[in-house]
Amino acid sequence: MTEPLIRTTNLTQNFGSVLALDGLDIEIPPGITGLVGANGAGKTTLLKIVLGLLAPTSGEVSVLGTLVSENPIGIRERIGYMPEDRCLPLDQTAADFVGYAAELAGIPSSESRRRSSETLFLVGLHEERFRYIGDFSTGMQQRVKLAQAIVHDPELVLLDEPASGLDPKGREQMLELIIRFGEFGINVVISSHILEDIEATCEWVVMLDGGKLIRSAPLEPPAEGDEVSVEVFGDPLSLISALADLGVEATADGPIVRVTSDEGQAFEVVRDALAASGSSVRRLGVSLSSLEDLFLEEAGNQYD
Amino acid sequence: MTEGTHLSEPSPDAVIVDRGYRKYEGLRTGPRGTMLAIIKDGFRRVTGLRRKARRKVLPWFLIILALTTMVILVGIHWATSNTPADLVELPKNGEYFDIISIVALLFSALAIPELLVPDRAQGTLNVYFSRPLTVDRYLSAKALAIVTVLMAFYLVPQFLFHLGLAAVSDEGFLSYLAGNLDVLWKVPAVALVYVAVHGAVASTIAAFLPRVGAAAGVFLGSMLIFNLIAAFFQEATNFPGARYASLFAFEQHPRVVRDWVFGIDTVNYLPTRAGFEPVVSLAVAAVLVAIATIAVRWQYKRSA
Repeated sequence: MTEPLIRTTNLTQNFGSVLALDGLDIEIPPGITGLVGANGAGKTTLLKIVLGLLAPTSGEVSVLGTLVSENPIGIRERIGYMPEDRCLPLDQTAADFVGYAAELAGIPSSESRRRSSETLFLVGLHEERFRYIGDFSTGMQQRVKLAQAIVHDPELVLLDEPASGLDPKGREQMLELIIRFGEFGINVVISSHILEDIEATCEWVVMLDGGKLIRSAPLEPPAEGDEVSVEVFGDPLSLISALADLGVEATADGPIVRVTSDEGQAFEVVRDALAASGSSVRRLGVSLSSLEDLFLEEAGNQYD
Repeated sequence: MTEGTHLSEPSPDAVIVDRGYRKYEGLRTGPRGTMLAIIKDGFRRVTGLRRKARRKVLPWFLIILALTTMVILVGIHWATSNTPADLVELPKNGEYFDIISIVALLFSALAIPELLVPDRAQGTLNVYFSRPLTVDRYLSAKALAIVTVLMAFYLVPQFLFHLGLAAVSDEGFLSYLAGNLDVLWKVPAVALVYVAVHGAVASTIAAFLPRVGAAAGVFLGSMLIFNLIAAFFQEATNFPGARYASLFAFEQHPRVVRDWVFGIDTVNYLPTRAGFEPVVSLAVAAVLVAIATIAVRWQYKRSA
């Protein structure tokens, strides 16, 4: 692996008696990474430690090759942050706010105005940049939050629930923008509990549960076509028996039968077994191994 | 197409260019630039610049009111310039504080909560503290913004008043200025005490309340109520040590200092009646600033 973007060593964070992060050892490579976990898993705590806003109880974090504890202020010049919570001044125009956010990161005033305009163009708010943020829709406000996170040209952007509160179209547009950041050479860490968003955008996934690391690995595209789920009317035993006659192993989960074929011919096998058993099909489709399945499986293993 | 009009043929090499994202390679201003940005933003916020029209009404009404009182006073000086000095005693720079300080008290009630409350209430601190900005640096910049704005509110009308008095003076413009050079230090010194007392009380209140209007109301109410309580304990009770209650007449301490600095005797203020020297009023101002610094810093450190 190349030099990790973020590396944590035995990172622990306590809030009184609550253990928010429990000895995390993570290495996140450059690119777009998803930080996954249920509410209270420790995602936002981890982001705040990466930003240097929170000093960990024990352990270390290095970001972009720099130990955060050694230079928590300096590191923030190189990081952008999009908070999940509301963070916009409703009585300011988008252009003024994003420009001010750039100035706070040390960009000179005149250049800040220019970059504000360019960044709002990039997120699709160029025409609306002189409107007051309070007059914006939720989707437009999310775009302003995104614009302020990248206006100072960070090397890494931390996005906390970027698609929160968006309608399906707005969500899709937001994810497209995030994918473009990767094309611009900006590293991205997306914290989300919407696993479909992570699947759609990320190359790497870090899963947290109860402050513990349960997985940090590349996000493989879901296997397609080699597993078929079929739901039949009535008892599925005759179908399972027919599948066994064809030399194919199947598992039943109530009325749903899952069939896996090593030769990638699951559909053909199921068709033949259905014909042989005379079963009536209620539903038939590809069985995908989603990130959600993976998360539930890994989280389950954690407590076994 | 009319004859003689020539449109160029589209070039086969023409392409639509995606402006994409521009990296920033220039200099960064560092902490000083960041603090300057906060002060500039504070000035704009207080005066309602780049905000909706209704946000400009109150501050500009008070600014115009302050300037109008100054113009009226200069006019009275001009109208009575031929009247013997022993027949009419008109207010000069020291006495003018009685008028300007009332308008400034209202302006402080508006400006200080406006500088402190919205960043917390609207959640923008989440964005600001993700920049290379510490809580102490942020609060220092806000304190500088408060002092700059309020000092300007006192000094600009006083400066114009001084020029006006010089212009209508029998002595002649330059002779009047040369004969009253002490005003150049007395006015800023007294203004600073007013700003310290009003600023400290208003900042402490604004740091703990979530609404600008509520903070303004509590500030004005507290200045009045502390005066009443101090007067009650001093005048109507025989408690041992009741004289110390006069120290809580916060609104009167700058006036005591004003009388002391300008050598004038307007009203017998509560601290004076209780036998305290003017230097005690200065000490009260210093203690209020110290308490405000500790309380505001604690509140922001807690919530950052």
